Amino acid sequence: MVTTDVAVKFTLNGIPMERDVPPNWTLLRFLRDGLGFTGTKCGCEIGECGACTVIFNGEAVNACLVLAPQIDGASIWTIEGVASSGRKLHPIQQAFVECDAVHCGFCSPGMVMSTVALLLHNRIPSNAVLKESLAGNLCRCTGYLQIIEAVRKAAESMDDMHLEKFRR
Amino acid sequence: MKEQDTINPSSLRQALAAKARPNLVVVAGGTDILVQLHDRVDRPWPKLLVLDGIKALGKITLHDDFVTIGPNVTFSEIESSPIIGKYAPQLAQAASVAGSVQIRNRATIGGNVANASPAGDLIPPLYVLGATLELLSVRTKRSMPIEKFFVGPGKTVLKSNELITAIRISKVKRIGFFLRLGTRQALAISKVSVAAALMIKSGIILDVKIALGAVAPTVIRAGVAEELLRGNRLDAKLIDHAAEAASKEARPIDDIRSVAAYRKEMVGILLKRGLTKILESM
Repeated sequence: MVTTDVAVKFTLNGIPMERDVPPNWTLLRFLRDGLGFTGTKCGCEIGECGACTVIFNGEAVNACLVLAPQIDGASIWTIEGVASSGRKLHPIQQAFVECDAVHCGFCSPGMVMSTVALLLHNRIPSNAVLKESLAGNLCRCTGYLQIIEAVRKAAESMDDMHLEKFRR
Repeated sequence: MKEQDTINPSSLRQALAAKARPNLVVVAGGTDILVQLHDRVDRPWPKLLVLDGIKALGKITLHDDFVTIGPNVTFSEIESSPIIGKYAPQLAQAASVAGSVQIRNRATIGGNVANASPAGDLIPPLYVLGATLELLSVRTKRSMPIEKFFVGPGKTVLKSNELITAIRISKVKRIGFFLRLGTRQALAISKVSVAAALMIKSGIILDVKIALGAVAPTVIRAGVAEELLRGNRLDAKLIDHAAEAASKEARPIDDIRSVAAYRKEMVGILLKRGLTKILESM
């Protein structure tokens, strides 16, 4: 069957882009196979594991549950855009490293993106809110305690300016 | 001209014109439909009508006597809306426990209704709130109580040229609850759910509606339990009777998520939990 690609305009990690996307591709497949942004991980592809979490218009979403044609007009942030420059990690990433919140690393990009979205909306989350906000991200290594500690550390130590760009 | 495989209308008029064609799959958010389509990404793909771009369908509006919820309104928006919190707390509660943050940011009320799962979490609250659906096609407009919309699992009376364009709830203030059980709190589809809306004056239940999810081919009302409660004083004994009645009214099946016997018993337990909390707060 011949399919017609769909023209979309969007912003990825702050950079405006225009592309033609296959109508049956998900945002996840488009990021990985279309643009080579493989930091967003492909886990379950049915919205249950959170490994493909990206920021979509300021909110955490599963890239596997967004159709590529649905990104027209959207601002998207992936793990590749989190650190601002060269080798220096974003404070959230640094907190994950310092708290040993990264073991195999597969869930980490999604965990970091969910943390960005949480702190965008709630700078001082309660423990209940923090856990609820990460409930859509599965980790099979850490047992979650180090991850919760890392999010708490980032929330407490980070300057607001490190969140500004994700609002755009 | 070649037909588009994905139609992305920006107005309702364009969407209704597109919907006049047969065999379109409607996407309003997509958190259910993309899971259903997941296994066929490399096989013939249906033509999709994506409603996300129609901003007019994404609003919660307050009128004199009722509240209108657009089909594109997301679970997150329902969860945080002060209007919904005031006039439909059951609905806000259901929206806040479904899926995960990521799912709730994309999933819409129109999608949840149209998907017609007996376990759809927004449906029992809409039953007890007496919600009305507005269904539009290019030439026709009709409204119906939500309870008349569902025929069976995944089956509704929506015609192929129609779209759900509004969900209306009356502004009568009622107290109530939505409670559910799943394998885990996040991301589990409900094994069983109970929603209720009550009007209580001086301890007497003037009116009550109870709806049960995931225990029949569609969401159902617990009419016998309602009848027991209506006109009577809410107390522990009455709650026990109503819980027992509701449990008998459930007609669940064994499936991958749970077994009938457990579901039947839990209907009573959840109703008892919800009503007891109301009694304690009186």
